[in-house]
Amino acid sequence: MAQLTYAQIDQSILDSLSPPKKGYWSVVAGLLLGVLVGAACWVYQIFVGIGTGGQNNPVAWGTYRINFVFWVGIAYSGTLVSATLHLLRAGWRNPIARAAETMTVFAVCIAGLFALVQLGRVWQVYYLIPIPTQRMLWPNFISPSMFDVIAVSTYLAVSSLFWYTGLLPDLAAVRDRTTGRRHEIFRLLSMGWTGAHEQWRHYTRGYLFFAALATPLVISAHSVVSWDFSLGVVPGWHTTILAPYFVAGAIHSGLAMVVTLMIPLRRIFNYQKIITLEVLENIAKTIVLTGLIVGFAYGSEYFIAWYSHDIVEMETFRWFAMGQYRWEFYIMALGNSLFPMLFVFRKIRRSITLLFIICLLVNLGMWFERFVIIVGGVAHGFSPYAWGLYAPTLIEYGIMLGSFCLFFFLFLLFVKHLPSVSMTEMKETLIQGAVNHES
Amino acid sequence: MKADRHIMGLFKSEDQVVAAISGLKNSPYTFRRVNSPFPSPKIMAALKLKKSPVGWFTLAGGMIGFLAGFSLAIYSTIQWHLVVGGKPVVGLIPFVIVGFEAAIAFSVFGNVIGLLIMARLPSDRWLKYYDPRCSGEYFGVLASCEMDQIDGLQDFFRQQGGEVKVFN
Repeated sequence: MAQLTYAQIDQSILDSLSPPKKGYWSVVAGLLLGVLVGAACWVYQIFVGIGTGGQNNPVAWGTYRINFVFWVGIAYSGTLVSATLHLLRAGWRNPIARAAETMTVFAVCIAGLFALVQLGRVWQVYYLIPIPTQRMLWPNFISPSMFDVIAVSTYLAVSSLFWYTGLLPDLAAVRDRTTGRRHEIFRLLSMGWTGAHEQWRHYTRGYLFFAALATPLVISAHSVVSWDFSLGVVPGWHTTILAPYFVAGAIHSGLAMVVTLMIPLRRIFNYQKIITLEVLENIAKTIVLTGLIVGFAYGSEYFIAWYSHDIVEMETFRWFAMGQYRWEFYIMALGNSLFPMLFVFRKIRRSITLLFIICLLVNLGMWFERFVIIVGGVAHGFSPYAWGLYAPTLIEYGIMLGSFCLFFFLFLLFVKHLPSVSMTEMKETLIQGAVNHES
Repeated sequence: MKADRHIMGLFKSEDQVVAAISGLKNSPYTFRRVNSPFPSPKIMAALKLKKSPVGWFTLAGGMIGFLAGFSLAIYSTIQWHLVVGGKPVVGLIPFVIVGFEAAIAFSVFGNVIGLLIMARLPSDRWLKYYDPRCSGEYFGVLASCEMDQIDGLQDFFRQQGGEVKVFN
């Protein structure tokens, strides 16, 4: 990055905001179609009933919960990457922080949508909101579901504000380089930011507090999601390791999603000098670490099941690996623990194609991890009489397709309308690089 | 006579800005502010700025949030009079989670409010003596002087290696 100048950084990032070509709009239109398919499936479910999904006894939580946890996991790691690495002064975070934060905001919105889809009678969502009514019924804050409501809504508010605060100096930079209606829009969005030293004095302090608050929030919020399961007396769920296991898994999947988004982004917008191979390599190294933690968690579960001599626990974990969902289990274990270990080889983590493929496999593995936990636990519980299998229906597949299309649709709109890399932080990286070089 | 003319020196490096700031201190001109494209530690050190008080807003928000979250959980539970399973109605341990999440949320709200108040945003007044190049590759040092000192201030900025912009 040392060879770039301030002007080149501005130019290459502002070039990404130039009017898009037809190819861009056709991809956006395709994704919008996917969103509409998802929306149509949801509308159908609202009219017909939640029974149109495959959830039934004993598996009451299917793909809706799986996708909720999956998107929440993706969301939590974005802020964690941005905030924690900011606190650790890791300069390689700067080129990816904006995309990671944006990914967070969109992913947590989609996770929230799944919480609504899962309700079935979505209009009754007000039962979850602590408001005084004539019914005299208040939400029960001892329930982990209410922890979720508080944690996820807090997370949405915090990550959106964190994202917007980080964006503020760049909105001003775009304002200063546009004319007409775009200038007016960015003038309003930038709120009069000019980079005056008094503004920076408060901004840097405020941003530091943001990062310091976001880090424990992420850890607590994903722990809260894990308690949806671990507070239930279900074999495979009722374990204290689930909270750190979920947090590590969230970082693991989020880092993989960041790479999945960054590789096409650097190719399309010629960001090779900004999102360098070294940045991607550092993410790959971090994925090795998170992969080891996730692998250790998988191993610990088996060890505890054996060590406890609890026959139900032992049977549950035997069934995970050898039962009807064994292929899902193998995708989970290989995708999350084995394939990421290939990044210990420099050649593999410096190959863009392999990096992309392995990160896709991690994403797939993380989705199936949630499948194994959420479906597997209750499908093969305490009573053999109540065992049963679950498979998603077309409606569920449609809604799932819609969610993925919505995520990429929003992300595509973002990269063409707002700076997808922080110009301010890139300039800071340049200075840090120069100082390091001099020293 | 009142200082009534604003002139900005535009520099390409932080070191020039630092030199200009220290030069202005020993001059008859009034230093107003520095506009920079990113927060420069060198410039901040040269200005000898005090620590921002934004943290007090954050702390206040956090304390209010923790109390609000805890109180909400307790209040909503005591509205339900039927004790189930012999468990205490007010379960303090689970309510710590609610209190913690609310503390973080309100800390962040306090942080944002503090930032907006202290940085005086949103406001267009910052744009009055401003050059758009300062969000790109230039650092702007704004100073004011009396009418008869305009040439002197312009020469000062040029001697420091900067370009000059005079505001009406």
